[in-house]
Amino acid sequence: MKNRTKLIRAVPALLTGLSLLLVVACGNVGGTDSSSGGSSGPTITVGSKDFTEQFILGSMYAQALDANGFNGVAKLDLGSAPIADKALQNGQIDLYPEYTGTSLVEILPYKGNPADLNSPRATYEAAKKLYAKRSPADKMLTPAPFNNTYGIFVRSSVAEKDDLTNMDELAQDSKNLTFISFSQFQNRSDGYPNMQKNYPALDFEEIKIVNNLGLRYSGLQSGEGDVGVGFTTDGQLTSDQLVVMEDPKSIWPFYHPAPVVRSDVLKKYPKVEKVLNEVTASLGLDTMRELNGKVDLDQEDPEDVAKEYLEEKGIID
Amino acid sequence: MLSNILEVFARPDFPEKLREHVVLSLVALLVAVAIAMPVALMIRNTRLGAAIAINIGNVGRAVPSLAILALALPLLGIGFASALVALTALAIPPILINASTGLREVNKDVIDAARGMGLSGGQILARIQLPIAAPVIFAGIRTSAVQTVASATLATFIGGGGLGDLIVEGYSERGPEILLAGAIAVAILAIITEVGFGALERAFTPKGLKIAQKRGR
Repeated sequence: MKNRTKLIRAVPALLTGLSLLLVVACGNVGGTDSSSGGSSGPTITVGSKDFTEQFILGSMYAQALDANGFNGVAKLDLGSAPIADKALQNGQIDLYPEYTGTSLVEILPYKGNPADLNSPRATYEAAKKLYAKRSPADKMLTPAPFNNTYGIFVRSSVAEKDDLTNMDELAQDSKNLTFISFSQFQNRSDGYPNMQKNYPALDFEEIKIVNNLGLRYSGLQSGEGDVGVGFTTDGQLTSDQLVVMEDPKSIWPFYHPAPVVRSDVLKKYPKVEKVLNEVTASLGLDTMRELNGKVDLDQEDPEDVAKEYLEEKGIID
Repeated sequence: MLSNILEVFARPDFPEKLREHVVLSLVALLVAVAIAMPVALMIRNTRLGAAIAINIGNVGRAVPSLAILALALPLLGIGFASALVALTALAIPPILINASTGLREVNKDVIDAARGMGLSGGQILARIQLPIAAPVIFAGIRTSAVQTVASATLATFIGGGGLGDLIVEGYSERGPEILLAGAIAVAILAIITEVGFGALERAFTPKGLKIAQKRGR
C-alpha cells in the first residue's frame, strides 16, 4: 500500500475516533438525559416522558429534591407513558410527572370514560385510588392547579375569515379545512375519535399526519394546514397567529400534572412528598407555557429553565 | 399477542401505509440510481473525482436523516416530497461508492488489452467495465435498497406516511402489538428487498465472472 493511501485512509479513522471520544467525554449519548445532583443523601431517581414539559417538570423535581437533603438524579426522556410507568414499577425510577387524565386513559384499568368525570378533583381521586391498588403501590401526589389538555387551534387568518371560535363552528366548517395531526392523537380513544363522537359534523377535507411537534407547528405557520392539535401549555400557543377553539361540550378528561411516586419510597422518605408538593403547587398555565416556550422557541436547556424557575420561586437558592 | 399483531395487518389503513412505504422507497431508490450512476460513470477515470465521490458518499452516510428532513421542510413542505428528498440523499452514498469503486477496480490490463484491440472508450465502458463492475454496482444498489426500505420509517415525522406511522402510534400504546406489527412489516419488506435484489445481482453477473467466481479466481 502506498504511504499516501495509508495516510488518506487514516484520516477518516482518526476523525471518527476523535469524535467518538468527544461524545463519550461529554457524557450524554443518545436520547436519555441522566444528570446527578451530586449531593449526598439518599438517591431519588426522577424520570420523565419524552416531551418538553416533562423534561422541565422532571428537572424541577430532581433539583428540588437535590436541594433538600437528597441526591436527586434525573433520568429524563424515557419515552411514552407506558414506558415511564414500567420504569417506575420495576424500580428503575422512583417517580415521574404524570397527568391525572392521562393515567386513566393510558395506564390504569379505569372502567368508564375519563371524560365523563366532571371535575379535576374527581379525576384525581379516581386516578389516586387506582394507583394505590397497584402492586407495587404508587401514590399520585397533589396535582398542579392547571389543566394541560388538548388544544385544537386554527390559524388566526382562517379563524377570522370563517368566524370560528369554538369546536362546533369548526366542525361545521371542517370540510374546507386541512387538519395537521399526529398518530397518537388520531388513534387514542380520547383523541380524534372522541372529537368526532362529540362533534359529529367534523369532516376535514384532509388530515395530514406529522409525528413531530415542531414540524406540525411549522407546517401550520407556513399554511400547509389550517387546523392543528397540541397541548394548551405548548409554548408555541403564545403566538397570536393561532387561536385555540373553545370546547363547549368539554369532551376531554382533565389532565392536571401530578407526580406519581412509588409508595415504598414515600414510606421510607416522607419528606419527598412535601418537597414535590411545593414545586407542583407553584405552577400555573401561563407559567408552564412560558417555560415550555423558553425551551422550544428560545432553544434553552430544560435543566437551566427549571433551575432559573426554582431559584426565582425561592424553592432552591 | 400474535393474533393482535395480525389484527393490525387487517386494519383498513394498513394497506395504504404499506403502499406509501413501498412507493416512497422505490422512487427514492430510482432517483438515487439516476443521480449516482451518471456521476460514477463521469468520474471513473479520474483519481481525484473518485476520491471526492467517495468522501461525499461517506459524509452523506453520516448525516442524520432527521437533519435532512428539517432542511427539506421549508422548501418542500409537509408530505411526500420532503420525505423523498431525505431518503434519496440517504440512498445515494452506497450506490455512488460502490459504482465508482467497482468501475475503477476493473483490471487495468484488461482495459489495456481492449484498447490494444481497437475498442473506443465508450465500447470499453459498455462491453468491459460495466459488465465486470456489475456485481459490485448491484451490491451497492442492493445495500441502498435495503437501507432505504428501513429508513423510510422516518417519513412519519414529516407527514410522508408509511409504516413509520404505525411504529410511532404503537410506541405510546399500552401493549406492543401495534409497534411490533409496524416493525415486523418493515423487517419483512427489508428481507424481501434483500432477497429480490440479490437475485437481480446474480442475474446481472456476466456468465464468465460467475464461472471465475466458482473457480475461486
